[in-house]
Amino acid sequence: MANLSLKHIYKVYPNGTKAVNDFNMQIDDKEFIVFVGPSGCGKSTMLRMIAGLEEITAGELRIGDIVVNDMEPKDRDIAMVFQNYALYPHMNIYENIAFGLKMRKLADVKKDKTGKIVTDKNGEPVQVMRHLTKAELDEKVYGAAEILGITDYLRKKPKEMSGGQRQRVALGRAIVREPKVMLLDEPLSNLDAKLRTQMRSEIVKLHNKLQTTFIYVTHDQVEAMTMGTRIVVMKDGYVQQIDTPKNLYQMPANKFVAGFIGTPQMNFFEGTLKKTGEEVEVKFNGSDSVVKIPYGMLVKVMPQYLDGKTNVYIGLRADDVTIDPDEVNGSGTTIKVKISHTEELGTETLVYGDIDMSRDSFGESPTQIILKAAGFKNFSSGDVVDAALKMENVHLFDAQTEESILPRIPKYNYLDCAVKDGALTFAGVKIKLPDAIKCADGEYELLLPTDAIAVGGDVAAEVLSCEQTDGKTLARLNIGGNCMFALIGGEPGQKVGLSLDLKKITLRSDGKDIISPMPLINSVVGTFALDRVKKQIEEGGKLKTKKVSEYSFVMGGRKFKAPLDVAQKMFAALSGRKVFNTAFHYEWSPYDMAISDDGIEGEVTEVLDYGAEQFAKVDAAGSTLYIKTTGPVSGKVHVSPDMSAVSVVEKDRNIRIV
Amino acid sequence: MENLTKQSAKSKIVGFFSDRGRKISEFFKSLPQRIKTKFAGAKEILYEGNGKVRASMLIMGLGQLMYRQWAKGILYMLVQAAFLAYFILRGASDFIGFFTLGTQESNAWYGIEGDNSVIMMLMGILSIIAIIFYAVIYVSNIKDCYVIQCAADTLKNPKSFKKELAELLNQKFYKTALALPIVGVSVFSILPIIFMILIAFTNYGGNIVPPALVDWVGFDNFGRILTLGQFAPTFFKIFGWNILWAVLSTALNYFAGLGLALLLNKKCVKGKTIWRLFPILAYAVPGFITLIAFKYMFSYGGPINQMITDAGGTAIGFLDIDAKWTARLIGLFANAWLNIPSSMLLATGILSNMNSDLYEAARVDGASAWKQFVKITLPYVLFATMPVLISQFIANFNNFGIFYFLRGGLYMDGYFLASDTDLLINWLYNMSIDNNYYSIGAAISIIIFIVTSVISLAVYVLSPSYKQEETYQ
Amino acid sequence: MKKIKIKPQKLFNVAITYLIILAVCFIFLFPILWLVLASFSKTGSIYSFDGFFPTEFSLDSFIRLFTDTDLYNYPRWFLNTLFIALMSSLIGTTLTILTAYVMSRFRFKSRKTMMKMTLILGMFPSFMTMTAVYLMMTQFNLINQQWGLILIYSAGAPMGYLTQKGFFDTIPSSIDEAARIDGASNFIIFIKITLPLAAPMIVYTLLSSFVWPWSDFILPQLLLKNKDLYTVAVGLMSLDDTEFSRFAAGSVFIAVPIVIFYFALSKFLISGLSAGAVKQ
Repeated sequence: MANLSLKHIYKVYPNGTKAVNDFNMQIDDKEFIVFVGPSGCGKSTMLRMIAGLEEITAGELRIGDIVVNDMEPKDRDIAMVFQNYALYPHMNIYENIAFGLKMRKLADVKKDKTGKIVTDKNGEPVQVMRHLTKAELDEKVYGAAEILGITDYLRKKPKEMSGGQRQRVALGRAIVREPKVMLLDEPLSNLDAKLRTQMRSEIVKLHNKLQTTFIYVTHDQVEAMTMGTRIVVMKDGYVQQIDTPKNLYQMPANKFVAGFIGTPQMNFFEGTLKKTGEEVEVKFNGSDSVVKIPYGMLVKVMPQYLDGKTNVYIGLRADDVTIDPDEVNGSGTTIKVKISHTEELGTETLVYGDIDMSRDSFGESPTQIILKAAGFKNFSSGDVVDAALKMENVHLFDAQTEESILPRIPKYNYLDCAVKDGALTFAGVKIKLPDAIKCADGEYELLLPTDAIAVGGDVAAEVLSCEQTDGKTLARLNIGGNCMFALIGGEPGQKVGLSLDLKKITLRSDGKDIISPMPLINSVVGTFALDRVKKQIEEGGKLKTKKVSEYSFVMGGRKFKAPLDVAQKMFAALSGRKVFNTAFHYEWSPYDMAISDDGIEGEVTEVLDYGAEQFAKVDAAGSTLYIKTTGPVSGKVHVSPDMSAVSVVEKDRNIRIV
Repeated sequence: MENLTKQSAKSKIVGFFSDRGRKISEFFKSLPQRIKTKFAGAKEILYEGNGKVRASMLIMGLGQLMYRQWAKGILYMLVQAAFLAYFILRGASDFIGFFTLGTQESNAWYGIEGDNSVIMMLMGILSIIAIIFYAVIYVSNIKDCYVIQCAADTLKNPKSFKKELAELLNQKFYKTALALPIVGVSVFSILPIIFMILIAFTNYGGNIVPPALVDWVGFDNFGRILTLGQFAPTFFKIFGWNILWAVLSTALNYFAGLGLALLLNKKCVKGKTIWRLFPILAYAVPGFITLIAFKYMFSYGGPINQMITDAGGTAIGFLDIDAKWTARLIGLFANAWLNIPSSMLLATGILSNMNSDLYEAARVDGASAWKQFVKITLPYVLFATMPVLISQFIANFNNFGIFYFLRGGLYMDGYFLASDTDLLINWLYNMSIDNNYYSIGAAISIIIFIVTSVISLAVYVLSPSYKQEETYQ
Repeated sequence: MKKIKIKPQKLFNVAITYLIILAVCFIFLFPILWLVLASFSKTGSIYSFDGFFPTEFSLDSFIRLFTDTDLYNYPRWFLNTLFIALMSSLIGTTLTILTAYVMSRFRFKSRKTMMKMTLILGMFPSFMTMTAVYLMMTQFNLINQQWGLILIYSAGAPMGYLTQKGFFDTIPSSIDEAARIDGASNFIIFIKITLPLAAPMIVYTLLSSFVWPWSDFILPQLLLKNKDLYTVAVGLMSLDDTEFSRFAAGSVFIAVPIVIFYFALSKFLISGLSAGAVKQ
């Protein structure tokens, strides 16, 4: 019964292929986590790394709070159920389940033949490690067998049993170890459909009974959705989204997740969005129908997608398209569909069609649509019907990156603004631009990040609504008649004064960024070194001179003592002495570096005064660094970073170590 | 299914050679890179290794001792001491002796024992093997010390000796398990082969046997076989017959076995297991027994001749000295008798794995039984058993027993120490064991090896098995 | 039951099939039958036969085989071969199984090289090494010693590891992984799980390596000079031409168990032959 912590886990093979890329996740005790994705996405590899059957190339894996990267599987206190059961064919079920227990040793006190406890010369009982007695074995094995309902088969051999029974034995072998984490690798793939649904619920029941953390791998999204408390969707080694089934279904982060989750698959169309006043025209490529939706639905979408020219993916699930005449008549968002064929499922019918009237589909087409209709329907191929689209459930994705453009938390607020005489006006707000922002007068587009707004300042705003989403609090504000979002809390109707973090804004004109936000990550290339230094250390009450190993980051020609925990993570990620011969990116935030008397040599090129904060732009060690300062600085300076806040990335394989 | 027979043999051969040529040039171009990566490890150790590692380079185990790895350090030191002892006492002189093959003639008059060249060569090879083993352990010593250094430098605790021993039963179990087999194979299989290859480059044999001194003669023996009047005609005649024999016997055994398997596979045959017992019976009886039985059967006073004389004819010398082709045919027949059963068993196994749907589809398409055989069965079976076919070809090429037992030891005119049914390997035997022409025999062995390996590699690579692995999957 | 008309063409077909089968079986049976009958002949010599068959039958040859041991000590040969076969079978099988297991389960750096080397070394005609072996054995003082033979048989056995490796390859590696999670080291996995599962293959290897020394002729003849040390094969070869029925008797006597062995394992032979041979 334990939680798991996975930080920056990578699996890189010697030939360079990355099977798992930067996997980060916190798993709480008693969760039922499912890794799901198509073949080759890295889910099984990830599970096997947790089990200890594959080596973790980089990153830290903790079970409980113990780092288990280099531990043997048997020491990690985990149990695993395999896809092909992996039962020992020559042993009967009892022996199969007892096999692991027989190799275990229990701590106990030494007893002599009469049962009296043997004591050593101090009178303390002597500690021994002993195997389990037959009675103890029986108790555990029968206990597990009862939970799974296989007590009748304990003397039989695996080959005499059916697939479902064998899988139960595999589960029994796993739970008898009373593990901290249960790992299941596609355990139901080898069973027929009916048995699969039955075993699915049994596994969920088992999870509830045992109250242990379960990690389950499957390629079947139905299994994932029905069993998991949280699901990790993976593709090609990258995590696509980690979320609850509900959120995955309703708020997929990208087109892949949207298409992967849900049967039948979501319909995707290419189209454009054009903002006209308070409405947005949704045009589907290939169809003449035009659908209009209120702008309020797409408030969080970045304006560049609403220009009517940028292609986006429009995603609609089959349940959100209906040909029910009542609904069609009452809906303002309809589209013409040319039917190609239907699949009768009894309770409902899947209707396949195309929104492009000119196609006669005998095969896949980018304008294909699948929709659900209740009961049995009588359509012929070629019929054209009106379908109502429930646009409140629409999903929109960028055509190139395939990321969702309807984020739960928008990154930026987009506003028109103007600069005149060193002051920025937007949405009825006038702010004096700090010295750091030098901008010519004119009209611009302002990108104001949602995390650049904080409570406590002069800008007047009214909170319209507030929601908890994705673990954060997002408030919708009214500033001078404009709708804006900010990561702050508040009650609807509350009036607040806000301050803006001006170093994060972008001013854009004609598509070019005139003013860019100040970089918040300073990256310096350096190496790692070991030095053997003679030092005086105290040992046994006396001062001795010994040679001690010192580890340091080497940047800009200077050495900085490396914190031990960071050094150890770097050692773990690279084998042998390669760590001393590799280049790293050392990264700090501007707040973790300071101008001081000692450190990397650099020269101040500019001081950026953002009013409330000042930053020095320093050229040092071959990079440009932005460092928070308290007073005026100039000329040649030294930069001293805070080693405890460093972030390390291995340059060649691009692996984030800390 | 691709029709392999349609592809012209000529284009295949041309394609094969250009393909090989390209692969060979690629191989050589990649060589510098591969050598670089192989030696990158060594370079790393040379640059990165600290003083302790260099100490181990001098005295094995010293670095380990400096790192407080007592057990390992002492073990490595012992190995080095043992090797030095061996080398000083024996190894050095054995090694040198390998090259000189003895300088001291023995002389009974003066009671000088002299050098035994052959033994010297043998002990020389052993000393080379010992040097190689030592080199391997030496390198592992340095690598081990470097690993300890890496662990120490990166704050990882080096493994305790107990833990390393435990690893030998776990992660490194392959080392423990392979140790004995490797030693055994090296000494009893590899060593003799190397020995024989080297003998082929000496003049050991005939009159030049210990106590006379043997010398290195380079490629002389090969030259003599191919050109000298004594050897050359015999060599070419036997070589030609050998190839003919190998092809005929392999083809006969293979197709007859296949035919028998198909015959017994037919639906109308009842009691298949009973009929199969008879060939298994023939397979089970040890070969030399049946061969001697055949020899008696076909001998002058033997049963077949008896029946012939009883019927009024004259006794035929089947295996007589003049009976060139009858003897060869009897050899073919006896060999078939011995080997068809195993061919049949193999074919039966393959056929049982076959997909019968193919036949039904062919029947629906209107193919006759013969067409089905040629277009469906044959490609499949050939594909599946190509490796076996190649090894059978080699086995038949080197089939010592067949003609040794039927007609062994006959020396004929026009042949040097051989008869007209002898294969290269029988000639080898006659020369080496019966007449002490060891070096020539060894040279012939090498020629046999080259021929058979080239043929088998060529056939294997040209065969469908190699190029179209997925056809039947 | 419906009466099915049998086409004459088909009948002809079936008849020819059976005819060929019978002929083939007769050809295979005959020499063995002849040997068996010859072993039961009264006189020792082949010339007193009436054509193929002896004129009189008796068990004399067998009796003489075991009792007339002055010149030809058959019981001695038998015991020699038994000892050699037993020891080389045990040692050889152990080495082969260890090699096959390691090659199947472990991936280590020199693995591919070793596999290619074994393949190439196997292409050398085995006969070629005879002289070398003879000289080596002389040097090691193993001529005229049964252990010399045993060493050669056992040490060379691992070269033929491919069949066994193919078998181990069929045991799914997930069983090994489950055992690792259960806490077993590779050694324990080998002993407690892989070996029991490989029992049929072990039996096959034991028996086929047991049988080989009984029929091998060349090596024993080379290495064993002392008549008392002969194996059965060499001994039978040393029989004079006049002792044909003794030869037949001796052959029959050892052939019987070998034949029984092959029958018992006939299904193994098929899979054993095809496992190593067939392209996976």
